[in-house]
Amino acid sequence: TPRHATPSIPSRSLPARQPGSALEEARARLHVSSVPESLPCREQEFQDIYNFVESKVMDGTGGCMYISGVPGTGKTATVHEVIRSLQRASDADDVPAFNFIEINGMKMTDPHQAYVQILQKLTGQKATPDHAAALLEKRFSHAGPKKESTVLLVDELDLLWTRKQNVMYNLFDWPTRRHGRLVVLTIANTMDLPERIMINRVASRLGLTRMSFQPYSFKQLQQIIMSRLNKVKAFEEDALQLVSRKVAALSGDARRCLDICRRATEICEHTSLDPGAPGLVGMSHVMQALDEMFSSAYVTAIRCASVQEQLFLRSVLMEFRRLGLEEATFQQVLVQHQALCRVEGLQPPSVSEALAACQRLGACRLLLLEPSRLGVLQRVRLNVSQDDVLYALKAE
Amino acid sequence: MSKRKLKDSPMPIGECISQVQTLLRERLCHQQLPQRPEGVDSQHKHLMELLKRTAVHGESNSVLIIGPRGTGKTQLLRCVLAELLAEEDVDKTLLQVHLNGLLQTDDRIALKEITRQLSLENVVGDQVFGSFAENLAFLLEALKKGDRSSSRPVLFILDEFDLFAHHKNQTLLYNLLDVSQSAQTPVAVVGLTCRLDVLELLEKRVKSRFSHRQIHLLPSLSFSQYLQAVQAQLHLPDTTFPDTTFCYDWNASLKALCEDKSVEAVLLRHFNSTKDFRSLHRLLMAILCRVSVNNPTIKPADLLDASRLLSADAMTNVLHGLSILELCLVIAMKHLNDIYDGEPFNLQMVYNEFKRFLQRKSNSLYNFELPVVMKAFEHLQQLEVVRPVDAAAAVAARAQREYQLVRLMLDHSQIMEALQKYPQCPTDVKQWAASAFG
Repeated sequence: TPRHATPSIPSRSLPARQPGSALEEARARLHVSSVPESLPCREQEFQDIYNFVESKVMDGTGGCMYISGVPGTGKTATVHEVIRSLQRASDADDVPAFNFIEINGMKMTDPHQAYVQILQKLTGQKATPDHAAALLEKRFSHAGPKKESTVLLVDELDLLWTRKQNVMYNLFDWPTRRHGRLVVLTIANTMDLPERIMINRVASRLGLTRMSFQPYSFKQLQQIIMSRLNKVKAFEEDALQLVSRKVAALSGDARRCLDICRRATEICEHTSLDPGAPGLVGMSHVMQALDEMFSSAYVTAIRCASVQEQLFLRSVLMEFRRLGLEEATFQQVLVQHQALCRVEGLQPPSVSEALAACQRLGACRLLLLEPSRLGVLQRVRLNVSQDDVLYALKAE
Repeated sequence: MSKRKLKDSPMPIGECISQVQTLLRERLCHQQLPQRPEGVDSQHKHLMELLKRTAVHGESNSVLIIGPRGTGKTQLLRCVLAELLAEEDVDKTLLQVHLNGLLQTDDRIALKEITRQLSLENVVGDQVFGSFAENLAFLLEALKKGDRSSSRPVLFILDEFDLFAHHKNQTLLYNLLDVSQSAQTPVAVVGLTCRLDVLELLEKRVKSRFSHRQIHLLPSLSFSQYLQAVQAQLHLPDTTFPDTTFCYDWNASLKALCEDKSVEAVLLRHFNSTKDFRSLHRLLMAILCRVSVNNPTIKPADLLDASRLLSADAMTNVLHGLSILELCLVIAMKHLNDIYDGEPFNLQMVYNEFKRFLQRKSNSLYNFELPVVMKAFEHLQQLEVVRPVDAAAAVAARAQREYQLVRLMLDHSQIMEALQKYPQCPTDVKQWAASAFG
């Protein structure tokens, strides 16, 4: 067994090509991974978290903080920025030195693995979850000479939920110990998570230091893109505004915004007549990118379906209208289907063929079906709105 | 004709036929790659550019290829990969990981497979060491250590992507997509799925990390293009086929075949029922099976036969194999369905209906005892011609078999069609079936 394996991905022989043109440069900057040094539009939140952690580290006490917000609002990035600037401060001896540990609920196979990961990041020891919990318990409840503060970031907190909630309980209980010197920052998506899933003694230990990250407004999104681009001239003003307004209206997710901008630069590159100087990303490119990423393909899928499949969908609609329900059995639809085929002058399909067409529509989820073992008795429902189907079938 | 051929061709006819069979079977059954898939130029370009940027520039990306079954999703991806790997030093840099939702049914297996295919350092031979948690930590650590410009990009291909979304907590998807959105080893996550609503399966945080690039592959070809595709699938290559005269004759006869009106009608019917290429291949395969030394070219009749074979109704075929008593029971059930409007029934009701038929219309030829009827009924149940309404509840309540409620799994049209073709069906049974309400 390899005992001391070093995890690594082999390195490439030639270094990756650097961006050449302005558009490529813009694309590299717009990638979600290239997080800027300081996050725009999150100054207030940054300051709050900074003050909280700084005061705890200065005093040598412990505490908990709960941070919530929908995905893509900069929660994790802000905390990382706080830690970076605190580390810089501690290098300059303004703040006492501290340890920083990060765990993520989604990156563990089991909530109890949290102990193992914390212990390993603190001391480099490997242990089973139970043993690790005992070691950590000892470490946080006894005073040690020259003990440093520890800042623990727990991302995706809701995944650490267990039936007895002992993992969460411990995580929030250690900071309350006198010699703990542990600051726990927890991040999750929903604002009411402590009230919803935690039992009282866990929720009360988490305390009331809460912070919620609001979704970005369109002005903020625009500012984020501008600051990322940092004077690289690749976008028209209007195009940027359109993207940020659209995304802000839908979700306020910065990741979405950056992805759309990135796609728009690609479209601009492809459609430009002169490959040497592709020009700026304009409204049309952005519109196309937005269309690609937000539109659903149901209508196109119905239009591209074969004649029998389209007829089947139409007979589903007819049967629904006849029954006044949103559900029918395959057998009922089949009667309509065969009648419709005769009207259209097509040879009616055999039951097996009609069933196959129905299954195909079910496989790409235009229809919702019961298990196919039920044969002609299975019930059929539409997964798209009736208007969509009508629109798709009419527009031929 | 074959006599003439034997004289001036360098190869005997049998040899030519076996060549044709190998060539076309390779094409139809093994999904041999064409140079470039047709009609999907924009999708091809999009995917190609995307993977190239990952391989050359080290940019992380994620994309979903969505399309109904048999529209060439895997084929498109494989074509793009083949083209990409043909470029210099890409094949030496790009690491590939192929996963399939049907094989890697949970994250534990998927993780072992990833580690094995990347041959990370905890792999010895083909064996992956460490627990599930250790494997995940190891993989994430490895991916985290890499960076954009110096480490080799990894291409993750997730076939049957929608099945990965059913794993517990979607841990694997979260982690792969998270790597693609952070400054770690460059990865490209490519998912293939046939579900149009696949994005709704993803958890919110997983969805936020997915870049929302979707490549839709929808079959948009017209009937004339379909005909061309048929011809192209059966076409023999002039340059590489050893016997040029045979090849010429074959292609000429193929052209003539496609212009035949009856052939066109059959293909149109097939086209109307599905645009799936796999089902076209099935049809062509059934035709190809009829090509032999005695029948060296494809005739329209072959196509008609093959099409009839494929479009036959399965349940009608089952009904052909039933005995007269079983057929009578099916008819009795049909009448019960008509009278009570699809309500479930039990053996007693069927038996009573059958007895009424015997008393009124028939001589005593089919006067069977109840146990015999029950046996026939059970046989129908085994064939799934009838199906218990609630099998689990019936077993739990220990309902007697005579009183177990069942439903008929047939449409009326199937019964009538089967009766017409039933060999030597008694006239009174036929009349009984045709009469309304018994």
